[in-house]
Amino acid sequence: MSRIPTRVLSLGAALLLPLALASCGSDEEPDAGTDGTTEPLVIEVTVADGSIDPKGDRIQVGVGQEIVFDITADEAGELHAHTTEELTLDYPAGESEQTMVVDQPGVVEVESHDIDQIIVQLQVS
Amino acid sequence: MGVILPGLVPGPLPMHGIGGAKDLPISPELAISGAVAALTISFIVLALAWRTPRYDAATDGRPAPAALSTLVTSTGWSVAMRVLGLVVFGYAAFAAVLGEDLLTNPFFGMFYVWLWVGLVFFSAVLGPVWKAISPARTINLLFARISGSDPDEGLFRYPAWLGHWPAALGLYAFVWLELVYPYSTELGPVRLWCAAYVAVMLLGGALFGNDFYENADPFEVYSTLIGKLSPWIVREGRLHVISPLANLNTVVPRAGLVGVVAVLFGSTAFDSFKESAPWVRFVQTNSFIGENDLGLVADNLALLTFCVGVAVVLSVGSMLTGVHPGQSRLEMPRQLAHSVVPIILGYIVAHYLSYWFEVGQDTLIKASDPLTTGADYLGTGDWSVNYWLSYHPTLLANIKVIAVVLGHVVGVIAAHDRAVRLLPPRHHLTGQLGMLVAMVFFTAGGLYLLFAA
Repeated sequence: MSRIPTRVLSLGAALLLPLALASCGSDEEPDAGTDGTTEPLVIEVTVADGSIDPKGDRIQVGVGQEIVFDITADEAGELHAHTTEELTLDYPAGESEQTMVVDQPGVVEVESHDIDQIIVQLQVS
Repeated sequence: MGVILPGLVPGPLPMHGIGGAKDLPISPELAISGAVAALTISFIVLALAWRTPRYDAATDGRPAPAALSTLVTSTGWSVAMRVLGLVVFGYAAFAAVLGEDLLTNPFFGMFYVWLWVGLVFFSAVLGPVWKAISPARTINLLFARISGSDPDEGLFRYPAWLGHWPAALGLYAFVWLELVYPYSTELGPVRLWCAAYVAVMLLGGALFGNDFYENADPFEVYSTLIGKLSPWIVREGRLHVISPLANLNTVVPRAGLVGVVAVLFGSTAFDSFKESAPWVRFVQTNSFIGENDLGLVADNLALLTFCVGVAVVLSVGSMLTGVHPGQSRLEMPRQLAHSVVPIILGYIVAHYLSYWFEVGQDTLIKASDPLTTGADYLGTGDWSVNYWLSYHPTLLANIKVIAVVLGHVVGVIAAHDRAVRLLPPRHHLTGQLGMLVAMVFFTAGGLYLLFAA
């Protein structure tokens, strides 16, 4: 009777093992192959009447891939990207392009503090 | 652009806390594998079910090495722990009162990372840490020594019906501050929260003695609950090493335990949920919310719904059973709440491991310059954070799922053991099904949030 919990635990381990192996099999550690060889990702941003479009889209991006914000704004402002070291991109009124690169995998929120809105969530992997 | 009046929320979404990038979501395959593993193991436990309770903290385990036992039960050790707690508290207060209202102030990291997450990890490994280092207990002890009274005794006896409810409320106040309140990274509000906490704790200690801390100190209740998953217990004055499952059995089913468990699990789930793309888009694009400036209300309602939802699922799941004549079904949720604690720990590991590891290091670096004067008191000022975990997202994702599934397995075993202890023999298996469904729901929900966030 006292071996039943041990049996359960070893069965549990037997079940977790294929789980671990399966996920190891599809390993995609980010490597240096993505930067420099991929095209920059362009995100169109429109700032008008106190609101910004997009309104929180989740966008896939590669580690080290150049991200270009194609901004059309009716007023000057700032983009804040919550990378490990917060990044601030100033933009003028009118049309402009602001670029940034993320070197670390993770989800980075880009928001505007003046308008208090999340613009995009960059899924960097 | 208009004037922002103090106290009014300037926009639809509160700005979030400290720390930079968040973890990547886990892959759908991994989430599904995890859920399948959890489900399968649950039914295996049920099928191989033992019929007599086997985790007894009074007899399980063996004594720890004598040297360790003597050290840990000595007066010197408890004094050292009290001093440690007071020193760190003093340093944090120093940074909070005299430091700048900037994100470089280490007070935020000490509060949101070292305390809120660090306490959980240290308690899981070492036992009830907060009870040993709590500054409130120490100050209460000092006042008692000075006035010549007994710190264990207050003016009144702590009422049993109140139980852990004040702690549940305190924990809710913390998660509300961290996750919903728009100014959670401004010095004034956080400092005020801490001052109120200390005031309430000292008043409670004076009124009810040390029983107040055991019942109503949110951090002590949290730390002691998680500490039940550690292998340490003091029996007959000696340190013993026992099975975490036996230790978990010693959770006292006081009033409000369900509330505590519900707030801890619900808030972690909400933290994941509020960063998910669907929620962010919903709150920012919904016209009703936009026109009436209801973003903050939406977050408040969501947090409340998650916490109340967990309480409801736990209560219903545990009550769907036959009982002994004279045994009340209403007792069941409180008697089974302890089995959710491993699930909570698994989910805290999954959600906060990289946050604790990385922002925790960052806080240690910032702690060297608490007043932002360019000083380097601790010598850590020029260290740099090691982001190794973030650079290995697949490993991190695996760790998350294994933690959640492991928490679920331990929870199911604990619930089963309690069921055979409590329920009439003919309901031993069928009486557990409701609880099993509830736990699978929690685990699958947790895995889904890790995938969708």
